[in-house]
Amino acid sequence: MTQSPGRAGGYIDMFNHSLAFDSPSYLLLLLLLPVMWWLSFAGLSGLGRWRRIVALTLRSIVFSAIVLALADVQYQRRSDKLAVIYVLDQSLSIPIEQRAEMGKYVNASILEHRSGFSDNTFEDRYAVIVFGRDAGVEMPLVDVGISLPPRVETILDPEYSDLSTAIQRAKAMFPFDAAKRIVLVTDGNQNLGNAQREAKAATAAGVSIDVVPVILVPRSEVAVEKIDVPANARRGQPFEMRVVLGNDAPEGRERAVAGKLRIIRKTGEREETIVTQDIVVPPGKRVFTISEEIDQPDFYTYEARFSPDNPTADGMTQNNIASAFSHVRGKGQVLLIENWDKQGQFDHLVERLRNEDIAVSVAPSDRLFNSLAELQRYDCIVLANVSRSTGTDGDNISSFSDDQISMLVRNTREMGCGLIMLGGPDTYGAGGWTNTELEKAMPVDFEIKNTKVVPVGALVLMMHAGEIPRSNYWQKRIAFESIKILGSRDYCGLVQWNGTDQWLWGQSKGGLIPVGPNRKMMLARTDRMTIGDMPAFDPALKMSATAFAGVPTAAVKHMIIISDGDPTPSKAATLRRLKQLGVKISTVAVGSHGRIGSTEMQRIATTTGGKYYVVKSAKALPKIYQREARRIARPLVFERETPFRPNIVSQHEILQGIEGGVPPIRGFVLTTVKENPLVEVLLQSPQPTTEKNSTVLATWTYGAGKTVALTTDAGNRWANRWSSWDGYDKLFSQMVRWAMRPTSDLDNFSVATSVRDGKTQVVITATGADDEFLNDQSMSGSVVAPDMASVPLHIEQTAPGRYVGEFLSDLAGSYLIVVNPGPGRAPIRTGVNVGYSAEYRDNETNMALLKSLANMSAKNGPLGMLVETGLNLSDPKELLAANPFRRDMPPAIANQSIWPWLILAGSCVFFADVFVRRVQVDFEWLLPLLARARDWVLRREKATPMPETMERLRSRKREVGQQIEGRRAATRFEEPIEAPEATDAIAQASATVNPTKPQSKQLSDEKPDQAVEPSYTERLLKAKRQVWQDREKRSDDKK
Amino acid sequence: MTIAPITDIRPLVAVLRAGIGHWGLVIGHFLLLLCGCTHSPQAVGTADLIWGKPGITSGRLQKPRAIAIDGQDQLYIVDMTARIQVFDADGKYLRSWKTPVSKNGRPSGLTIDQSGRLLVADTHYYRMLVYKASGEPVEAATIGGTLGREPGEFGFVTDVVEDSAGNFYIGEYGDFDRIQKFTHDGEFLLQWGTHGSDPGQFRRPQNMAIYAIDGQEQIWVADACNHRIQVFDTQGELLSVWGEEGSDIGQLYYPYDLAFDDQGHVYICEYGNHRVQKFTLDGKPVGSWGRQGRGPGELHNPWALALDSQGRLHVLDSNNHRVQRAVF
Repeated sequence: MTQSPGRAGGYIDMFNHSLAFDSPSYLLLLLLLPVMWWLSFAGLSGLGRWRRIVALTLRSIVFSAIVLALADVQYQRRSDKLAVIYVLDQSLSIPIEQRAEMGKYVNASILEHRSGFSDNTFEDRYAVIVFGRDAGVEMPLVDVGISLPPRVETILDPEYSDLSTAIQRAKAMFPFDAAKRIVLVTDGNQNLGNAQREAKAATAAGVSIDVVPVILVPRSEVAVEKIDVPANARRGQPFEMRVVLGNDAPEGRERAVAGKLRIIRKTGEREETIVTQDIVVPPGKRVFTISEEIDQPDFYTYEARFSPDNPTADGMTQNNIASAFSHVRGKGQVLLIENWDKQGQFDHLVERLRNEDIAVSVAPSDRLFNSLAELQRYDCIVLANVSRSTGTDGDNISSFSDDQISMLVRNTREMGCGLIMLGGPDTYGAGGWTNTELEKAMPVDFEIKNTKVVPVGALVLMMHAGEIPRSNYWQKRIAFESIKILGSRDYCGLVQWNGTDQWLWGQSKGGLIPVGPNRKMMLARTDRMTIGDMPAFDPALKMSATAFAGVPTAAVKHMIIISDGDPTPSKAATLRRLKQLGVKISTVAVGSHGRIGSTEMQRIATTTGGKYYVVKSAKALPKIYQREARRIARPLVFERETPFRPNIVSQHEILQGIEGGVPPIRGFVLTTVKENPLVEVLLQSPQPTTEKNSTVLATWTYGAGKTVALTTDAGNRWANRWSSWDGYDKLFSQMVRWAMRPTSDLDNFSVATSVRDGKTQVVITATGADDEFLNDQSMSGSVVAPDMASVPLHIEQTAPGRYVGEFLSDLAGSYLIVVNPGPGRAPIRTGVNVGYSAEYRDNETNMALLKSLANMSAKNGPLGMLVETGLNLSDPKELLAANPFRRDMPPAIANQSIWPWLILAGSCVFFADVFVRRVQVDFEWLLPLLARARDWVLRREKATPMPETMERLRSRKREVGQQIEGRRAATRFEEPIEAPEATDAIAQASATVNPTKPQSKQLSDEKPDQAVEPSYTERLLKAKRQVWQDREKRSDDKK
Repeated sequence: MTIAPITDIRPLVAVLRAGIGHWGLVIGHFLLLLCGCTHSPQAVGTADLIWGKPGITSGRLQKPRAIAIDGQDQLYIVDMTARIQVFDADGKYLRSWKTPVSKNGRPSGLTIDQSGRLLVADTHYYRMLVYKASGEPVEAATIGGTLGREPGEFGFVTDVVEDSAGNFYIGEYGDFDRIQKFTHDGEFLLQWGTHGSDPGQFRRPQNMAIYAIDGQEQIWVADACNHRIQVFDTQGELLSVWGEEGSDIGQLYYPYDLAFDDQGHVYICEYGNHRVQKFTLDGKPVGSWGRQGRGPGELHNPWALALDSQGRLHVLDSNNHRVQRAVF
């Protein structure tokens, strides 16, 4: 046994396989083996020699197995294979030409150094990871001679460099049975994460790191560092705007850069250039001041752009833009969003609100906001009968993305904007909003849990889209979207081909099962599904028909088929049966195999009354499924021929001055009122009788904002009697005004922000009406980051009237800040734009970091290698001289703990030990058996067993004879006499009977007794006669 | 001092599985020897070689769908990358080429004709392509290319076979299901079959094979979605129909391909039952091999098979991206 140099324990080496011990000290227990032998030797003496040896051996094995298990024995396998992972930096700090060269370098490097190209057998594997902010696998570990395609296909965020994530990803990718090496190709300018720490962890795990630096050529770099505008300007009051530009030139080559500076002002969709100026930026920093005045209250974004006259004079153009926000308070603004395919439904409402001096902008749902900043000019958002997705076919379908819904909700919760949902048949649960964030923001839930109120729906998804790119991903996405939209009581099934036509869940229950208790399971199974190539539509359609027939309670039955259309067409009878069951089938044709596939898909949809979609881009799929799955929610609409009058349940500002109640309506969307004390139900319908589902108007306060739910419409279909009603203007204007963010011009608070080193500082100067400082105000704030995360902002007073807060702002994009100056004061909003990431600040290779990474040595291995000349393919001699596939690493060792197996083996051997000691096995049968086998094989004559049997019989006879004689001696009152007749009888019997053992035994036992009996009688008679003779003799003598 | 034990037993499991797999083959052969012959009423097939790895590089397979075998026992295999790769009978890669276009879909039928050319059912382009064994296209020999129901037009082409007179029979599906017969020069002769499940109709005639009995040639059709075999003469007259849907021995579930040995047996590869069954020519089952799975001797949606000169079956284990060579 030798001590392993690298391992804490020891190992026993046998070529490429070895045993190692994690707790070798336990092996000392093996010294007790002789003691055990000594103790056992005497104890087992009764067993005989061979059994004793066997028992001792087994006992020793059991003991050794236990000791080895205690020492945590490991089975090790060694391999001298190598896995090399090239990690390529694709962030924007590296010029595009050098990024493109990285792939060429990888291909040249593997061609040069990886063995196996000649005979197409590759022992060593390689992989490629590319990274920016995140890291993606461009080429998985391959053992074939495939080269890296010229274009990087992984989608990355190149605005940042996170070397640490890339190293971590590479580390996780290495196989256990090969030595590991990472080749880093980067400029070392990380702006997220800590590469050194991650590299240390990797080298400690045995990964060697080579570095190929990307040498950046220093160029003059002009950047617009910031634009300063006051956050709260006053209407008609001029203010100064400051633009700071920096010119960072390499030493010795400092020169001024000439160009154009433009200042652009944006508000809503309006964009105007307010200044265009030729400027010269000398080395160092330069500040430009521009005077500006705002005459219209609104939320403004100012953008400063610098374009150099000579593009080559500026290294990067991405950092030539900066922007800032300013806000001039005025009267409230309202944004009304309506479905793009039903525009004009709310024109009447818009007109009446405008009459009430409320500024309303109308936006169709296909031209939605893209950032939270865009929403800041509005104080109230109205979703007017808007569904989550709208459109008629695959090409023009549009929907609210999760991000947009998130913006809407943040805009209310954090920024205090009002949010009103106006009803109609296309919204709430019937509009596909169930289980979205918007549902959380409203005072009512969009789902009905009571069967009496709303019957259930059933949806079957049929998946057969295996031939589109990333088919599994897309099919999972659409299944997720559908399952999420369905209500808890709705039924859902997913049929697919996986070897056979089968349901993904509920196979034993007919395939269609309620979503509520199974939603998680459904999502989990969807996540694991792999879908095969369905040969024919018909069996799956038949299965679906049977499943639908099994849920008679379902009021709406819908099926969505996604397919490339090449399964064999379905039978007309099957489609007829589905139609009879009331099932509508919508078909989604993807990547159809030309016109034939489309025809069949179209036929299915037309026959059953469903919709047929042709999808050119898979991106449209989730929207289609959101829309189609929504059909199940149709029963959520409550509609009656006879109008009914909603009751006023409680008084509220919105209903102030409305006398005599509201006019009757003919319908509304069913919802469930939230069980929360903040919720106020104002109007309730008399039917259905379950009160919590019959809300017509409800409000609550959600975070910093207020939301209103009106489940009937604003006078088109259900509430058309309201249009001519006197209270119409009052009701809706009061509703909007109540929800609207409060505005106040009375305060005298100014907010300034500054961004430095990834942090933003917010400074609030609070002055009272007489310009005196306001102290001891309790201020709080919150920030919405560009990724829609809410960041708390702690504000503390640092000087008289001066309050300061700070938050991390390391992502590029808009940060929107709300400061609540205290009770009774309107919140102050401002924003900060972090225009470009740190990626554009660095223009030199960080050689210090790269050297330190290459200087780390892998565990038990040598130091890494740094290619001094860097990534330079024009003179690749030194670059390609560095061999990443060099064999300077210790062989890879795969460990496996085998103590459980040892315990198992020990237990079996222990049983054998007990067996040997307790059971005496007779092996006498073995020799005859072998002899017989030998005879059989050699075809020998069978040996006569006779003499041996005779001998045994005779010996037995002698034994029996002696026993009888013994008995006689004990009972007889005469001298024993010989009984030769008996012996003869035995001999006679032996000669005639079959010489099998039991029979002969019986005979030998019986014959002696029969032989003795008459002789004994004779002797008795003889004795008797003797007595008589003696008596006669005596009487004769007396006579 | 103590290092946490590594509990990854995958290598051991892999070794064990490989071992079991190997021994499975050995035991299979042993059983075969014990049976004494391959003609017993319930002959059990065994895999004697498994090769192929998933992948898109040369020599690897990505869901292979059709196979043909030439006189030298070279295997021509087309997969979902539309590559036609040529291998020897032991799976050694020899050469490959691609069909001209494959955006709409990939070929799903291959046959070697009497002159050693490869006939390709270019399914989603409604035509039959012809290549020399080297991979050189014979463009003049192409039949079809137009979608339609007229003679010489096609739906999804499934397979092509050639009779001894050099006529081609081309099958198709969609709702186009029929078989068209052409002269060697591509001239339309006749057609038979429509979409349906009556005798003589088809629902996806996935593959065909020609069998000659007493000098009379028969066209055998794997009528996949009707789960049956139909036999026609060269004029399209229906001679026999057999097979019923199911997964018991003797029943069929999506029969996709068929091949004959020279002892009067037909081997049928079932896509839906993941097995190959051996039948007499009148449809009596005499053996079966394979079940669903990923191990040796297990199949996952096999699409096609080919019988070589030594009587070994090469089965395309499509969803396992490999070929299994089996002996009955």
